[in-house]
Amino acid sequence: MRLLRNIFRRKLRAFLTIFGIAIGVFSLVVMGGIAEKLTLLVDGGVIYYQGKVIVSPDSGITGLSTGVLSTNLRSDLEKIDGVARASAQVSGLLDKEPSSVNFGTIPSFGASDGRERGYETFIVTYSQGRELTNVDNGKVTVGADLVKKLDAAVGGTVTIRDKKYTVVGIADKTLTAPDSSVVMTMHDAREIVFDDLPAEAKTSTAKDTIVSSYVLYLDKGVAPAAVAARIKRHITGVRAVTPEDFEQQIKQPLQIFTSVIYAIGAISLLVGGLSVINTMTMSVSERTREIGVRKAIGASDAQIMSQFVAESGVIGLIGGIAGLLLGLMIASAGNAAGEASGNALFLVTPRLMIGSVLFAVVLGVVSGLYPAYHAASLNPVQALRYE
Amino acid sequence: MSEKSKRAADTLYGKAAPPADVAPEMASQADGVEALAHAPGESDEHIIHVRGLRRRYRLGKDNFVDALRGASLDIRRGEMAAIMGPSGSGKSTMMHIIGCLDVPDAGEVWLSGRRVDTVRGRALTRVRGREIGFIFQGFNLIPTLNAIDNVSLAAEYAGASRSKAVEKAKRLLELVGLGDRMRHAPSELSGGQQQRVAIARALVNDPTIILGDEPTGDLDTATSEEIVATLRRINTETGTTFVLVTHNPEVAEACDRIIRMRDGVVVDFGEQA
Repeated sequence: MRLLRNIFRRKLRAFLTIFGIAIGVFSLVVMGGIAEKLTLLVDGGVIYYQGKVIVSPDSGITGLSTGVLSTNLRSDLEKIDGVARASAQVSGLLDKEPSSVNFGTIPSFGASDGRERGYETFIVTYSQGRELTNVDNGKVTVGADLVKKLDAAVGGTVTIRDKKYTVVGIADKTLTAPDSSVVMTMHDAREIVFDDLPAEAKTSTAKDTIVSSYVLYLDKGVAPAAVAARIKRHITGVRAVTPEDFEQQIKQPLQIFTSVIYAIGAISLLVGGLSVINTMTMSVSERTREIGVRKAIGASDAQIMSQFVAESGVIGLIGGIAGLLLGLMIASAGNAAGEASGNALFLVTPRLMIGSVLFAVVLGVVSGLYPAYHAASLNPVQALRYE
Repeated sequence: MSEKSKRAADTLYGKAAPPADVAPEMASQADGVEALAHAPGESDEHIIHVRGLRRRYRLGKDNFVDALRGASLDIRRGEMAAIMGPSGSGKSTMMHIIGCLDVPDAGEVWLSGRRVDTVRGRALTRVRGREIGFIFQGFNLIPTLNAIDNVSLAAEYAGASRSKAVEKAKRLLELVGLGDRMRHAPSELSGGQQQRVAIARALVNDPTIILGDEPTGDLDTATSEEIVATLRRINTETGTTFVLVTHNPEVAEACDRIIRMRDGVVVDFGEQA
């Protein structure tokens, strides 16, 4: 209480200083929220890719190819040394032309031939309804982040590419790719993929053999890189992606990206720290006489020092909490707005919350050190004479 | 008579030059506080014993002022003494050095039989907290703290627990007649009431000496008389020694003795009342 009264002696100045810290923490929370979300997505991807090799058309992007493979390829892939099982996947973008800029995963649809059962360890569970089976033509299950966008409810219908599908299940949140995908049958997915093919490709493609990618499950102890190398040697026109490739292509750039994001947040907080130094220095000089009195009535240098350090630490704490609340508000508002398009941009994790506030407190304390030292080393006689 | 005490006695009467050295080896002794086997020159009845005090302040480059030029004085235990003198005579500097807020360039200061002019830093802060209470002209209460907290703060600085400090603060505020104003902020108190809070604050650590720097300087005559009466009552009841620097002859007259200073030395030790 005494500390707060001292801090709020100059209300406007205290408010502005705290506001400066709050803006810094706010930017750290919001920026960090994006970074945490992306990191989690990618970590999910890393887990998904573990011990697998993904085979896609050479021209396509991992998992979301525009070119197509064929069902014929499966027996060839399963002949490759070290491959235990090949599961065919048909997938594509939910919207023909994805709207606006997307962070994280783009809403998509996907289907599999079911051959991954017993091999796949990344199991999606359902909060409502049930899993899709291969006889569920015209039916879908919906990922957690797409519920709002598609206005999905079990038993109701959703519209995808102008066609209505009945929803039989809604998936639990996985915090990674499945949250933004719709699962349908191979038949239904092939309809959409075939429709998307260029006219000239349509004539040379048999609709019911379309495969977007294969997920290869490997024998125990086989290195994904070795399998990828064998595929490259024996099969043409495909690209084999290993967990290592994923790490290199996605995770490392992401780490740089998140470092930059955190650095920007930290810099804005440092600016707030400078204003704490300024405020505390002014406060010390205004209270010079009071410091002299405190020394005269028996305060030691250490007691004076700790008083001012505590004051600046509390400024950091109040600013930190205010910034955190502001950040949480904006992040949840942003997520609410993003849900409509199936994209939650922010993930404010407990470690981010605690870390941001702690950083603000430490910054406050560190910023207070010099002014506090100056206060503690004032000559009491001169301080008492100060008007 | 020892060499040291002889020199001290000589300086008291201005016969010898004050010691130029401050005996730096003394500072290295345990805690810097040297216990006095027998008070130099005088008996133990002197709670304050000052010899040949010199203090020079630097005002600017090559511009000095000699605030004290070999001042000496003794204050008896339980005495209430006034120090008078024109502005610039060194009264305040004397008070700051006795109060362990400042250190002399030369000379000796003994408080309760302990030499303190060689003490520095934390040890000096401890001596100040234990031996000295201050009352200032401008009251100098902390504006953000109420009466109780202003008083208890000094006890907390000296290491008392919050509850003990508050309890003692309440008792002392009753003693100075502010039992019904304890939760008031300084801005809600009159000048006389503020000075009473300051007196309670000065008393909270049971100091042996209370130093007053123009304690009635900002008060009207009636209030001034009240404050002096309060100080006198505390002096009589607790035996605490008071040294008051004042310009006010009426305040000085109320004391046991009037010490007069001029040009950085004590020129009149005053008649013991």
